[in-house]
Amino acid sequence: MDKYIRNEQYDVTTNFDNEWIILNTDKFTVTKINDIGGYCWTLLKQPQSVHTLTQAIKQEYEEVNESVEEDIHHFLSELLTLNLINYAS
Amino acid sequence: MNKIHALIGEHLIQITSNNIEFATSIFSENEFLIPDNELQLPHLMIHIEKGYGVPFVDYHIKVTKEKGKIHFQRADYLIETDEEYKVATVYVYDQLALKHALTNLYSSYIVYHNWGLLIHSSCAIEDERAHIFAGQSGAGKSTAAKLSHPRMLLSDEATLVKITPNEITVFDSPFRSEIKSTGLIKSCSLASVQLLHQSLENNRVQINKSDGFLQLMDKIFYWAHDPSETKKVVKLLETLINKVPIYNLHFQKNNTFWELIS
Repeated sequence: MDKYIRNEQYDVTTNFDNEWIILNTDKFTVTKINDIGGYCWTLLKQPQSVHTLTQAIKQEYEEVNESVEEDIHHFLSELLTLNLINYAS
Repeated sequence: MNKIHALIGEHLIQITSNNIEFATSIFSENEFLIPDNELQLPHLMIHIEKGYGVPFVDYHIKVTKEKGKIHFQRADYLIETDEEYKVATVYVYDQLALKHALTNLYSSYIVYHNWGLLIHSSCAIEDERAHIFAGQSGAGKSTAAKLSHPRMLLSDEATLVKITPNEITVFDSPFRSEIKSTGLIKSCSLASVQLLHQSLENNRVQINKSDGFLQLMDKIFYWAHDPSETKKVVKLLETLINKVPIYNLHFQKNNTFWELIS
């Protein structure tokens, strides 16, 4: 299963009231994510797969949508496109 | 060679030039110039030369960094500075280029030294509290400034904001468009930031911090050339957002919007 990790070379992260903003200083993109996305972003300091993130979210949050695994997959695809994460070797 | 000093924010700036009248022409009515003071070391020394480049073409700035020097180059100006922005030479075509070059240099200086930000906005004072009006081009920054008369203005184009964890303070800005400084008020605590939208009705609604951050990020005078400098901009803006409320202000083209702010 593919694993991903934050591309920390260029990113600057800030958060306000459970909303997170990630600035990529190389691509000049600004990405705003919600609380659960921010939790995933924190975990992505270490290599994570869709499965490990899904399990972590289910443990951290009491109510989780059934589509969480699909949501995580979509979320990681977006972060990859924005060059905010890389495949972990 | 002539030498003169200016005080911008809390920074003593030494300006030298063979054409000192031209070099200090942006400091309206000499409100920012101070008597020669040899006792205090300047924070920033700027040498200004006229006769560079061509008339204004566009806002594109090429930034290069090599051998301990940073260069900001536009068609109508060139800035050469050391990495700490303590000693700089500014070559310009005309007065517009001079104003933009000094804005560029000073905003880079205050970010590098983590002092604060220069924000594309106007700023007026009501009851000893400063209120910023920001927006896209044409949103009404200078209109709001004019409609704020007879309130004192600290800026009509580029607001000079000192940012510390304890207080956010606006200083009188020399980087003006039309309305010159009176020099009567040097600084004032910042109470609010308005994001302007011209409208048929007045309405003022506080927005959440993350949206405020996103809206203000592209209104900072900053030319990205180094990720560590960009991080400083982000952290300074974060401190501001956490201390000062940000509002969407829909306003009629008259002074009644002040009833929502006062």
